[in-house]
Amino acid sequence: MFSKKTLMVVGVIFLVGLNIIVLSITSSRYQSSSAGKLAISLVAPFQKIVTFSIRFIKDIWYHYFSLVSVTRENENLKRALSQAIEKNNQCQEIELSNLRLRNLLNFQKTVTSQAIAAGLIGKDPSPWFKSIIIDKGRADGVEKGFPVVVPEGIVGQVIDVSSYYSKVMLIIDQNSAVDALVQKTRARGIVKGESTDRCIFQYVLRKHDINIGEEVVSSGLDGVFPKGLRIGRVSGVIRRTSGIFQEVSITPNVDFEKLEEVLIILNPPRIKFEIK
Amino acid sequence: MTICLYIFHCLWLIILQAAVLPHFSSLSGFYDLLLTLIIYLGLSRSVRDSVPVIFFAGFVMDNLSGGPFGVYLTTYFWMFATIKWLIKYFQAHNRALWLLIVAIGVLVENLIFFVPRAILQAEDWVPIFSMNILMPQFFWAILTGPLFLLFFSHFDQAWETWGLDKLKTP
Repeated sequence: MFSKKTLMVVGVIFLVGLNIIVLSITSSRYQSSSAGKLAISLVAPFQKIVTFSIRFIKDIWYHYFSLVSVTRENENLKRALSQAIEKNNQCQEIELSNLRLRNLLNFQKTVTSQAIAAGLIGKDPSPWFKSIIIDKGRADGVEKGFPVVVPEGIVGQVIDVSSYYSKVMLIIDQNSAVDALVQKTRARGIVKGESTDRCIFQYVLRKHDINIGEEVVSSGLDGVFPKGLRIGRVSGVIRRTSGIFQEVSITPNVDFEKLEEVLIILNPPRIKFEIK
Repeated sequence: MTICLYIFHCLWLIILQAAVLPHFSSLSGFYDLLLTLIIYLGLSRSVRDSVPVIFFAGFVMDNLSGGPFGVYLTTYFWMFATIKWLIKYFQAHNRALWLLIVAIGVLVENLIFFVPRAILQAEDWVPIFSMNILMPQFFWAILTGPLFLLFFSHFDQAWETWGLDKLKTP
């Protein structure tokens, strides 16, 4: 009835159509499967061994062959500086909260104490997507949706968990969104990733006066990230003559190229919305 | 056994790409190394040997990546099918052409990743950013892609010779 060629063309068209439908469904929301966890569990141990081996060799090189004392001193100073910056940021948050006469008794800490350290063992194989694999999983108490931070600021959010490993979507990924506010003016918006090592601050009303260099912190209203965690600094503001929002770009505080260890917050704020 | 060999190739390429290369900042913007294996399978191996490997590679990459599930599977499957179709009409076993094939492969893969988001987002930065991603990949693909294909080819020959020797040995 039909020639072989016609059947082949119809087959190819059908496959392409099916392919587009499947990709449309999977790209609309991130879904994790048990088979996916298996894939991570299969590859991650090798990644861990290789990463730790490279890091070990790098450490030997830096610590023993190249400027032993300077490297160590530098590391200590960097650590101290990170802690000082974080402390300074906390102080600023507290000061601003006090200025707004908030009740001190109801004031919630900006950074939770229940956190677990994890090492980075792999990065996203594609430059189009921004995620990392870390060496802590369900066995360590990690769950999907937990926030991941470093002293410099927010890193991302856990999107997939296997027994001993987790996948973290970075805030610079195009699918990432964090509810945030400008620390000084309290202008609120959503920080979205752009995959370009920077973010955009969307839905910020034009009436707010935002200047380059101002700090952007998490608002805590997304129910994922605790309030007051640093995200980045405003690197550009465009106010068009029309529209109710302004375009704000942000340079994240975290250097995602140099990430080695991260902190997973184990008791993130959970906001439950009840319908009355 | 052949499938196991290629799955082993997949694993070491994934580890090289996701765990080793990120440690060297000068190698940032490297292309998808598994693409060379998919191209090699398309050029030199049968559908029966290749399809399980392609599905394995796509599945693992989709799970390691933060992108939508299926994007790597799609890329690898269609890349393989296109190469299989093209070699019916072109003499692609000429090694001088490998350079071109890898470069086109990298371009096609990036188009599959880039076009949907460019259509959906329609932002000004997308074309500039895409060039920033694409150019280093092109550079590295032209420089190293044929070497990988050459390696797979030699490895295959050595593997087959070793297998035949084993059969001859009583």
